[in-house]
Amino acid sequence: MSESGAKHKFAFYLGCIAPNRYPGVESASIKAMKKLGVELVPLKGASCCPAPGAFGSIDLNVFYAMAARNLVLAEQMKMDIALVCNGCYKSIWEVNHKLKHNKDLRDNVNEVLKEVDMEYKGTINVYHTAELLYNDRFIGVDKVRDSVTNPLTGARIAVHYGCHLVKPHKDREFEKEVMLNTEHPTWMEELVSALGATPVEYRNKMQCCGAGGGVRGYDIVHALDITNEKLINLQEEKVDALTDICPFCQLQFDRGQIEIQEKFGVKYDLPVLHFAELLGLAQGMSPQDLGLDLHGISCEPFLQKVL
Amino acid sequence: MMAEKKKATTKKTTSKKEDTKKVAPVKQEVKKQAPAAVSSTTQQGDARIGVFICHCGTNIAGSMDIEAVQESSKAIPHVAYVDNYKYMCSMPGQTVIHKAIKDHKLTGVVVAACTPRLHEPTFRTATKDGGLNPFRFEMANIRDQNSWVHMHDRVGSTDKAIDAIKIAVAKAALLQDLFPKSVPVEKAAMVVGAGVAGMQASLDLAAAGIKTYLVEADTSIGGRMSQLDKTFPTLDCSQCILTPKMVDVGRDTNIELYTYSEVHEVEGYIGNFDVTIRKKARGVMTPKEAEAKGIVGGGCNGCGDCETACPVVKPNMFEVGMKPRKAIYINHPQVVPLIYTIDFNSCVKCGICVTACGPEKRAIDLEMKDEFIKVKVGTAILATGYDIFPIEKKEEWGYKRYENVITSLEFERLICASGPTGGHLVRPSDGQTPKRVAFVLCAGSRDNTGTGKPYCSRFCCMYSLKHAHQIIEKIPGCIPYLFYMDIRSFGKMYEEFYYRIQDEGAKFIRGRVANILEDKKTKNLHVMTDDTLLDRPVDMEVDMVVLASAVQPSADTNRTRKLFGVSCSMDGWLLEAHPKLNPCGTTTAGVFLAGVCQGPKDIPDTVASAEGAASAASIPIHKGEVELEPYFATCIEEKCAGCGMCVNLCPYSALSLVEKDGRQVMQVTEAKCKGCGTCGGFCPGGAIWMNHFTTPQIVAQIDAFLLGGEQ
Repeated sequence: MSESGAKHKFAFYLGCIAPNRYPGVESASIKAMKKLGVELVPLKGASCCPAPGAFGSIDLNVFYAMAARNLVLAEQMKMDIALVCNGCYKSIWEVNHKLKHNKDLRDNVNEVLKEVDMEYKGTINVYHTAELLYNDRFIGVDKVRDSVTNPLTGARIAVHYGCHLVKPHKDREFEKEVMLNTEHPTWMEELVSALGATPVEYRNKMQCCGAGGGVRGYDIVHALDITNEKLINLQEEKVDALTDICPFCQLQFDRGQIEIQEKFGVKYDLPVLHFAELLGLAQGMSPQDLGLDLHGISCEPFLQKVL
Repeated sequence: MMAEKKKATTKKTTSKKEDTKKVAPVKQEVKKQAPAAVSSTTQQGDARIGVFICHCGTNIAGSMDIEAVQESSKAIPHVAYVDNYKYMCSMPGQTVIHKAIKDHKLTGVVVAACTPRLHEPTFRTATKDGGLNPFRFEMANIRDQNSWVHMHDRVGSTDKAIDAIKIAVAKAALLQDLFPKSVPVEKAAMVVGAGVAGMQASLDLAAAGIKTYLVEADTSIGGRMSQLDKTFPTLDCSQCILTPKMVDVGRDTNIELYTYSEVHEVEGYIGNFDVTIRKKARGVMTPKEAEAKGIVGGGCNGCGDCETACPVVKPNMFEVGMKPRKAIYINHPQVVPLIYTIDFNSCVKCGICVTACGPEKRAIDLEMKDEFIKVKVGTAILATGYDIFPIEKKEEWGYKRYENVITSLEFERLICASGPTGGHLVRPSDGQTPKRVAFVLCAGSRDNTGTGKPYCSRFCCMYSLKHAHQIIEKIPGCIPYLFYMDIRSFGKMYEEFYYRIQDEGAKFIRGRVANILEDKKTKNLHVMTDDTLLDRPVDMEVDMVVLASAVQPSADTNRTRKLFGVSCSMDGWLLEAHPKLNPCGTTTAGVFLAGVCQGPKDIPDTVASAEGAASAASIPIHKGEVELEPYFATCIEEKCAGCGMCVNLCPYSALSLVEKDGRQVMQVTEAKCKGCGTCGGFCPGGAIWMNHFTTPQIVAQIDAFLLGGEQ
């Protein structure tokens, strides 16, 4: 990891949904992290991560090669990668991990990369911004708390962890470093508390958002059915907002509510915010800067409570 | 380098034996110790070494070119004869060896085969049968460290085998006659842990006339079995069959019982272990202890007046915390020994108990201190048992988050008539009787997620079947649902018991439980799994969940095993000398294992293993003496400067400085020396000779490897 003006510098991998649907995630990440001593430098020329369900299920060679190309771009910048999406984490972290430990696979991938004059060397690491925020080695909960100028006092916020950052438990290094288990984690709740809000536990917290693994693309009604169950459980706890660390989960919970209303005739109006957006709010960024007006479900009731 | 002991008297050994040995009796060589360094029977110059290559079926022969190994071996200096055989350890294989020793006048033997741990004794005997001193044998490991690891590298493993043989031959050419020493064995044994394993082992040893010190960490004996309600598959009451044994242990004059005690220090070796027992201050005197203090007719009689008076309330861990106890307590009404104990961590020293105990008994001493007692034993048995794996680590099942999720051990206490609810199974949340109870089997066992344990805990299937039976028997209309991977009912009458429980109406769902959710209002639980037989997801609402939690070595196992020099596996279970053929022994001579400390076992297996350990531990005691490997250090007095550096280095306190001919020289207490070589490697003057691992031998081995046998 390189050190310059900021304490830590990372190549910022955006992914697809954040820049296209929730640009606030991008701006909030860059600005909020800067205040915490972490500079996110755009990873120029990056492609799709590629999506673990869509590509990984069909052709692993393409999956490995595409992810490796993104890794090589960061290697050329001599920076570790930071990203904001569980799906990207699964592809890029996991491919990095596999290529580092499997010479045959690395040779195969480098054979493909040769066509674009690239070589994977295995010189960098990959981090999710959520893990940078939680891990004292980079930022830590205390620093996050200190950076808050507009505490989200009074807001009841539930957490959706998503799947790929914490699972499979056996392979992930992140949680071995900072926590013990993945079946009922509470570290995100600590971060929510640090922003001044009240974290809320709800039934079946670790259930999937419904979208992942290609389910959304393959069978939207099935996907929404799962989402609907989570929304029912959330509604029972009377939460003001749901926070996530994955734009794909966010899409499913946010736009999914509109689809659920169309298909099942149920209305929840539950604001859904990426943790970066929450952090931006708590650090005093305006809802406009965060592009919260671009969300499918209005964040207004929540904003009124916290601003 | 090896010039100094080239006074080879080799031939003698060989030829002399030629006529006499045939029926060479065992005792023959326990003559007097040959001071190795001086009258060294070094061979080297006229050494004639035989090399015997074992195929081990295809274990070795399948991975290397035996012919090539044989041909190359013939060219090694000092090698006089080379042969190979399918199983060198078999009787015909051994015959090949002792016949060759005679026919080819060999002075040393190299067997290239498995490990010394497995067959060194076998081949030493064969060497002896051929008329050589058994220590003229050296092993080259070409299986475990070669063919098994380089299974698919035929050329590489062949070359490596040749190297290993060269190295072994170089040493064999310098091997000397050695004579094991016999030491007397103390006629006493120690057993650590007084669960059913430790109790059984102690009773057996005592019955064989051996004084036995039984050390138990808890305040009373009986261990886990005393916490159980009924035992499978016979359904007899656990306490009913255990208490007679407990009473026997308490009464046996050959058993000296130390409860609320632990092993503090261990010194010595087989036959002569000096063990220090730490007798923790229990604050209450036995009648004997009271009498020793001049309080005639005093001491604790177990009346319980102190307990009634004590104002401090703590959870009773014998009842898995589900019942209160006082700061002065006994585990349960049937305890052996019936002596109260003060938990000084929670005692406020108010002195009310002292008053309650009264001026006659005067049993309570609030200022009591830990005592250290030294005993000498010939052998020791570890029977340290198990603890329940902290199943709250498997967060998906919500133990300690959901009130109505309990462990099997809690179930045992709840269903037990002497337990906290008088044998009524109730939901912790509301005290209601459950109508639907789910059992999660393999809870934390057979778990490769990194959170649980990879092994099978072996008795959970069976006790869960028993639990199902108890529910059906005690609560009409209540249905037990068993979520299982597969039911392992392997023991005698176990499979029959499984069928019986099926017939009684227990429901079996094959699937690992993914998740348990609590209904906030009713505190009912939803068990989520995949029914892998019907291939459909399951969401079953039940009133209560019982987790058949994995087991792990008890908390103090690691400390205790280190004191006795016993190894453990990756999971922490103590390591037996051989998993099949020496399951009770350990690699430390004189130390044995009984019961679950070695790995999960049900009660029948535990008792069987305890009896095995007791039998094994009594053998050296009955023999009266044991032979020690003659690998001890020897001082070459002419070279010793008496600096005493080695004395301080020795980890076994085996060395000392003595006055001889007006100057200081080092002296070795051979029985204490383990032959570790620390002193020999250090000695600045090269004055310490390590039998069987001499400097010339080791240098010759290194030369053989680096210079390919040219010296």
